[in-house]
Amino acid sequence: MAKPKVGTYGLTGCAGDQLVIINCEDELLEIAGALDIKSFSMAASGGDEDCPLDIVFVEGTVVQPEDERVLRWLRERAELLVAIGTCAVWGGLPAMKNEMRPEELRMSVYGPEGNTFQCVSPRPLSSFVKVDLAIPGCPVEKEQLLQGVASLLHGDLPQLPTYAVCTDCKMAEYPCLLVEQGWLCLGPITEAGCKARCPGYGRPCIGCRGPVQDANIASEVQVLQEKGFTWLDIQNRLWTFAAPAESLKIDFLKEGANA
Amino acid sequence: MCDHQSHATHNNPYLPHPARIIRTLPQIQDHQLFQIRFEDEDMARGFAYRPGQFVMLSVIGTGEAPFSISSAPTHPGVIELCVRRIGHVTKALFALPPNALVGIRGPYGNGFPVERLQQNNLLLVAGGLGMAPLRSLLWYALDNRSKFKDVILMYGGRNPDEMLFKYELLNLIDRTDVQCLLTVDRDDSGIWKAHKGVVTMLFDHVELDPNSTYAAVCGPDVMFRFVLNELLERGFSKDRMLMSLERNMQCGVGKCGHCMIGYKYTCLDGPIFTYWDAINLQEMI
Amino acid sequence: MKMVILPKESLPEFIGHLCPFGELHVPVKVSEKSYAFGRVNDLSDIELNYTRTILPLKKYVFKPVDVMFNFCAATGYETTVEETDAKRVIFGVHPCDIHGLKILDLVFGGKYVDGYYSARRNKAAIVGMDCIPDEFCFCRSTGTDFVDTGFDLFLSDIGASYLVRVGTSLGDDMIRAADSLLREVQEQDRQAYKRRSTQRRESFQTEVQLQELPEIMDLEYDSEVWRRVGDKCLSCGTCSMVCPTCYCYAVFDELDLAGGSGRRQRRWDSCLFKDYALVAGGHNFRPDRDSRIKNRYFHKQRGFVSQHGRPSCVGCGRCKVYCLVGIDIVEVIKELRSEIRV
Repeated sequence: MAKPKVGTYGLTGCAGDQLVIINCEDELLEIAGALDIKSFSMAASGGDEDCPLDIVFVEGTVVQPEDERVLRWLRERAELLVAIGTCAVWGGLPAMKNEMRPEELRMSVYGPEGNTFQCVSPRPLSSFVKVDLAIPGCPVEKEQLLQGVASLLHGDLPQLPTYAVCTDCKMAEYPCLLVEQGWLCLGPITEAGCKARCPGYGRPCIGCRGPVQDANIASEVQVLQEKGFTWLDIQNRLWTFAAPAESLKIDFLKEGANA
Repeated sequence: MCDHQSHATHNNPYLPHPARIIRTLPQIQDHQLFQIRFEDEDMARGFAYRPGQFVMLSVIGTGEAPFSISSAPTHPGVIELCVRRIGHVTKALFALPPNALVGIRGPYGNGFPVERLQQNNLLLVAGGLGMAPLRSLLWYALDNRSKFKDVILMYGGRNPDEMLFKYELLNLIDRTDVQCLLTVDRDDSGIWKAHKGVVTMLFDHVELDPNSTYAAVCGPDVMFRFVLNELLERGFSKDRMLMSLERNMQCGVGKCGHCMIGYKYTCLDGPIFTYWDAINLQEMI
Repeated sequence: MKMVILPKESLPEFIGHLCPFGELHVPVKVSEKSYAFGRVNDLSDIELNYTRTILPLKKYVFKPVDVMFNFCAATGYETTVEETDAKRVIFGVHPCDIHGLKILDLVFGGKYVDGYYSARRNKAAIVGMDCIPDEFCFCRSTGTDFVDTGFDLFLSDIGASYLVRVGTSLGDDMIRAADSLLREVQEQDRQAYKRRSTQRRESFQTEVQLQELPEIMDLEYDSEVWRRVGDKCLSCGTCSMVCPTCYCYAVFDELDLAGGSGRRQRRWDSCLFKDYALVAGGHNFRPDRDSRIKNRYFHKQRGFVSQHGRPSCVGCGRCKVYCLVGIDIVEVIKELRSEIRV
């Protein structure tokens, strides 16, 4: 069987997810052996930028019109499009100020000189093109990425966790930082897969993997308010990584809180 | 509490046995009948099961899922699974090459209480993929014909192109030892010679003695409700109405919890339940 | 039952004598308010003054994530080499957790024996220890505040000493190994044990009536309580993970990059997760949180009674302590019984 032709591309982002691939030191040879890597912008220049691809891994967010053009071009070239990293899956950090108009935001950051470039409200890849597989994480977890590749090679899509970080946190028997310390922890509403790394180091979950399916945001917000956090504290934390997520559009909660 | 014995490798109920897909018979759109034979000859010949039981089938590298057995234990050597391409495992199953190696474990579940059904009339009512488990009971009854009184099959599909086992069942219409009533909701092609209309309409064509008949019903939710009502109106006892239920079964042996309904495990106490069981457990239907 | 007396000052030495019987696991403090069973280098790190650990003993016998067997495209499915889990002595186990194990024994035993569970279970020696309940404990109500089986040794604090009950032949071997530290039960010990019994009984702050609860749950099947609790529930899975008798698991295959080979694994699951009752094709039998949390209560308090003659709740209080939104099983039951209204 021919090796699948694969490309790895980054839109606007930190390239941290591509770095995870490069950091798969023990598995790199195996990956290279199993895939026909046509293009990997971070690892090598001079890739084949025209050939059809079986799988394309895309990290980063659409922030500029150029990103959208590249994304649509990749979608057309590839059989399967895999969004890697929270920026690609949920909008990530670039989207945290999405409640401001892009022009207003650009002005506040760059001043009038910012007019030299165009920007749009950052949104996840899935709001522009069909995404076949979304592997969140800031950055993605190496194990999930490798599992994803293994499943795709096998002709399947991997079964990613559909439960919250709390589950992994308790499986690892970490003390609950929200119950015990009263800290602002997003573990209950954040998709698992990181083995509760931050709570394992005694730090609360900041939601970098985006909301879990069926997240009960209203109840999470209520309990955080009962712990004494202000609406601003909660909103800032909720919107750090996945502001465009439908479940985090919580204006109705805010209105309730302000009432 | 230390009798240092490990059961992990002996009689491991979770370990699938190697088996081969020896033939696939396309049925209708996205439905195939898979003929499967265990690699081990003793297992292939000795695999005993009851109509209505299910097996767990593993596609290597993809996962495992439950399937009711469509063949009858009276035809040993090969088991047949009628599968609809609908999920992760079935998608991979349909993509396997000929003679592919798969894993099978089972049989699981209670199956139809065939001893209790004997010396009675048997009414089988199926809709859609509900024919899959009922086909096992149908052939079991026809192969043990003298043990049953009248055998009646009612099977409804949306149109002639969506009838499972169509030719096999059409061939039964001529048989004098079974009353085979097939119906389709609509027939645009105009070639369908059997009945037209919903499956409950077929009740007008049969005489049923509720006191000496067991009804086995399997099909989509809507059909269930209409058929069960029909049977109740005809005076059937709720204990004489049997149904096969579907749940998320991951272990098949009453451990993993997913198929729990109230206080019954579908995989151990079912998948065949009486209508009484069903109304006694709020969540069941 | 054979009983002996262990003076408290001899406890460290006694524990030392248990080490040849297996890897010692004891309660240790893992944060300001939390405890866990684990290994210690120094016996002084044992924290006997604990009420509950985050995870119950199920973590030893039913691992959070466990490899069941390997598979490869050419040969199919093969069990991994013989399980090599060490023998363990788990020291300082409270009665509720021993009952938790006994309930898991019912589930993982039966017609189909779960070998992964039983292999580890058979290698775990249990040294129990009594305790004084806190405000979250309701094991007296569930009948799990006392054990008469399910342990090799059981220590009850009777002041200056422990009264040691010997539950098994292995427990007797342990006692014999520490023979020099032990003495016979005397009159003052008998009196002290009875005083301890009274003290424990009088310490309970939480009580819940479980009689006729299965019928009441049937009557209250459509109760508002479920909607209210469902609105609060985060479906985060915490209560299931920390529950001594939640045994649900999900099965998944993990593939090697090389293709075709990999491992079948299982992982603790929770009936509160949205896709728990999802079947292929997309039908979900419990799509709403209220129906899922109701199912959890029904299974523990109603279904298990029908199956095994007793509820599967052991009154350890973990689900209440660790619930982030404060869902309180005792309160839910009292509401169902209309003893309180919220």
